[in-house]
Amino acid sequence: MNTSLKPSDISKPSDCLCHIEPGELSLLPPPYEDFNQTAIPPLKPEKIKNIEASLDDTVAIGIPKPASAEEEKELVHQFLGGLKKLFEKENNWTFLQPLLLSMEHCAKCQTCSNACPVYEMSGRKEIHRPIFRAEVLRRIYKKYLKPGGKITAKLTGDIDLNWTTIARLAELSYRCTLCRRCATVCPIGVDNGLINHEIRKLFSQEMGIAPKELHEKGTVQHLRVGSTTGMNPLAAKDSAEFIQEEMEEIAGYKVEIPWDVEGADILLLHNAGEMLAWPENVGAFAIIFQAAGISWTLSSEAAGYDAVNYGLWYDDVQFSRVAVKHADIARRLKVKKIVMGECGHAHKALTVIADRLLTGDLNIPRESAMVTLENIVLNGKLQFDPLKNNFPVTLHDPCNMVRSMGIVEPQRRILRKIAPRFREMTPHGVENYCCGGGSGFAIMSGYNFAEWRNLVSSRKKFLQILNAFEDEPQDVPKYVCAPCSNCKGTIRDMINYYHAEKRSGLHYGGLVELIVNALAGMKKPIIRFGEKPSWEL
Amino acid sequence: MGFYVLSYLCIAVFIIATGCLIYRQLSFPLHVRWEIYPVRHETIARVAYGGSYMEELNWWEKKYKSSLINELKYMVPEILFLRGLWKENRNLWWLSFPFHFGMYLMIATFALLLLHAFFTLWGLPVFAAGGSVSILLSGLIVVTGWSGLILGNIGSIGVLYKRMTEAELRNYSSFGDYFNILFIFLFFLSAFITCLFFDPFLAGAKAYTLGLLTGGHSLNSYMPGQSVSGSLAIVSASLLVAYIPLTHMSHMYMKYFLYHDVKWDDAPNLPGGKIEAAIKNNLKFKPTWKAKHIEADGQKSWKDIAAAAPKEMK
Ligand code: SF4
Ligand code: SF4
Repeated sequence: MNTSLKPSDISKPSDCLCHIEPGELSLLPPPYEDFNQTAIPPLKPEKIKNIEASLDDTVAIGIPKPASAEEEKELVHQFLGGLKKLFEKENNWTFLQPLLLSMEHCAKCQTCSNACPVYEMSGRKEIHRPIFRAEVLRRIYKKYLKPGGKITAKLTGDIDLNWTTIARLAELSYRCTLCRRCATVCPIGVDNGLINHEIRKLFSQEMGIAPKELHEKGTVQHLRVGSTTGMNPLAAKDSAEFIQEEMEEIAGYKVEIPWDVEGADILLLHNAGEMLAWPENVGAFAIIFQAAGISWTLSSEAAGYDAVNYGLWYDDVQFSRVAVKHADIARRLKVKKIVMGECGHAHKALTVIADRLLTGDLNIPRESAMVTLENIVLNGKLQFDPLKNNFPVTLHDPCNMVRSMGIVEPQRRILRKIAPRFREMTPHGVENYCCGGGSGFAIMSGYNFAEWRNLVSSRKKFLQILNAFEDEPQDVPKYVCAPCSNCKGTIRDMINYYHAEKRSGLHYGGLVELIVNALAGMKKPIIRFGEKPSWEL
Repeated sequence: MGFYVLSYLCIAVFIIATGCLIYRQLSFPLHVRWEIYPVRHETIARVAYGGSYMEELNWWEKKYKSSLINELKYMVPEILFLRGLWKENRNLWWLSFPFHFGMYLMIATFALLLLHAFFTLWGLPVFAAGGSVSILLSGLIVVTGWSGLILGNIGSIGVLYKRMTEAELRNYSSFGDYFNILFIFLFFLSAFITCLFFDPFLAGAKAYTLGLLTGGHSLNSYMPGQSVSGSLAIVSASLLVAYIPLTHMSHMYMKYFLYHDVKWDDAPNLPGGKIEAAIKNNLKFKPTWKAKHIEADGQKSWKDIAAAAPKEMK
């Protein structure tokens, strides 16, 4: 265990502040022991020669190395300018009070450490302690922004501010999934996830530093092209047409996906990734809504067919732009409510966070699909044959939907009705563990970041899933229900990485697929274990 | 008289500093929601598993309910007994609880001493010397005072020892953290020695509190300086009262804001309501973030900026 590292060590130049040796990660049970000696593949020297990579064994952002000492100095200066703005209401009214409360009241009791899956799974590496990065920021703030800080720093905790500190802090802010498990256990109510979120904002909003998957390919592309997937409105409509055909083919159900229906009761917002990677999810929603006689629509306007809002993870301004766009599309379509599809961060972004942003006629009511679906499944309008889902099912709780929104029971009530072999993970609900793909990690895979995610941040979830099914024979197909696109992508990657379909019979999918699979009268099952869907062939 | 002046000054600092802390909290602009579940003012049924009002179909058509009683039911035991620490970090609780509860008992003792002083000043017949109310109150003062001192001494030595010997605490501790604990320990120790050797029934504390209410002019008031430890106890207690709100130790009561204003602030923005008005004000702020994609020039408001897509990538 590496407990000798202190927050002030972040500013001491070295090639690698924290390296994980093979065997240091938390142990996996049989039949995965062969992964216990697996190390994060080393970064190729030629790939990292021009970027900052001195934090640990991976790279999330890839900040170019400054060309000169002057440039370094200028960047340090910019950083301090941004830090100051985090504490100004003009610049950070969004989080000023929560940030200050968390900055000023930590008792450094370390209760939060044990709650953090990244810290635990990393082999308890010091840099992954929830308060490590918070303490770095706190010390810089006190020393460089508070009057007399350079003197009081000797008494309250010193730190040097140089380019190394800043480059490492930026990278370190992308080793936390913002799952906020640490915040739930802090006896004082301090939120290290929030402090991390604010660090990311400082880098993006002041210095233009953010992972390209979140910024250039994320929010910027979303606002320009219409989706973070790169799909423009035409391509989105094409996908939907394909999905209609596929649903008829695989489920034997003729479904119409309605577009731009003015005055519909519901505007359904999907994560556009579903259309490309899991079209059956979009199709299953359409089948359920159609079968239940719901008045609904999708929007074909740019950004209106992609519910994601990556700004939630790193930039309040980009967040606001996307949220306003979503609300404005719903306003012009004159729908009664927006229903958020199976995407956890989109749920929180538009329902909770944007709630203190949207005013007047932009404040269209927003509802979780879990709630809409619960009403459809439990109100008796549709008939189900739960035995069609007669395989072991467990439920993953997306942090943003569950811990941050309190949408806990609707999805469970559905599963209890349609999945006779449903079992919980331990712990679950608001105490769940993140899938490891939170805060953008699911879509970040530059350098060797995907390996880091599979080995470190997803490890706890993988263990939880294995535990949930430990009483089942290896060859029985098992279904991990993850009603969130990003979680689903992460779980897909972890199943592939650990060969868990072969070794443990693990499969994954969303909630609507299970609902449609149990619908009475469907000609064919939509869930077919072991068969590759046509779009993957 | 110098002791009384010091105590008055310190109490004044406490009131002003705490007032400023609270005023600051109340004057922040409304922040975006960042609640975390369970939100304790929800219905008991939902609190049990961490559910929210957003679990209801068309939740906005229903009345938003928030029970302060349910919040307090959680927060009071949390503040008094450190319930969260008991659940999540039991090893530390065994030391942190006596440390904190010792302080709370000292506050309770001071409240009882004040009550005693008021009764003495009013000269109420029910409080006549030797009467049952007087005996009961004096007994309570002795019990809370002694228990607080014993717990406080054990707790402060314990947390100090733990902080010094465990790397995960030591690596994050500064001189200031040790100083704070030592400061509190100094008070507990000096007060304990005073009670043990000079004043087992806290007669001096009663007299000093009476003196505090009368500017030291009452006949029964205590003339400090009768023992070194007694003087030290008065000086350290007074200074602590002034010092706590100036440090992160104010978390003992600022917890209220961390919980009530952030963790549990789930109030929805309803059309035409107070929240909407506050948001409209917030949207008038003019940010100055420098990254190009923000396109802030100090003139455009948040509202202008949120309504426009960025032209720049970086
Ligand atoms: S954040 Fe909370 S739990 Fe973590 S060290 Fe600080 S006070 Fe303790
Ligand atoms: S938010 Fe989650 S990943 Fe980040 S420090 Fe807290 S517990 Fe760890």
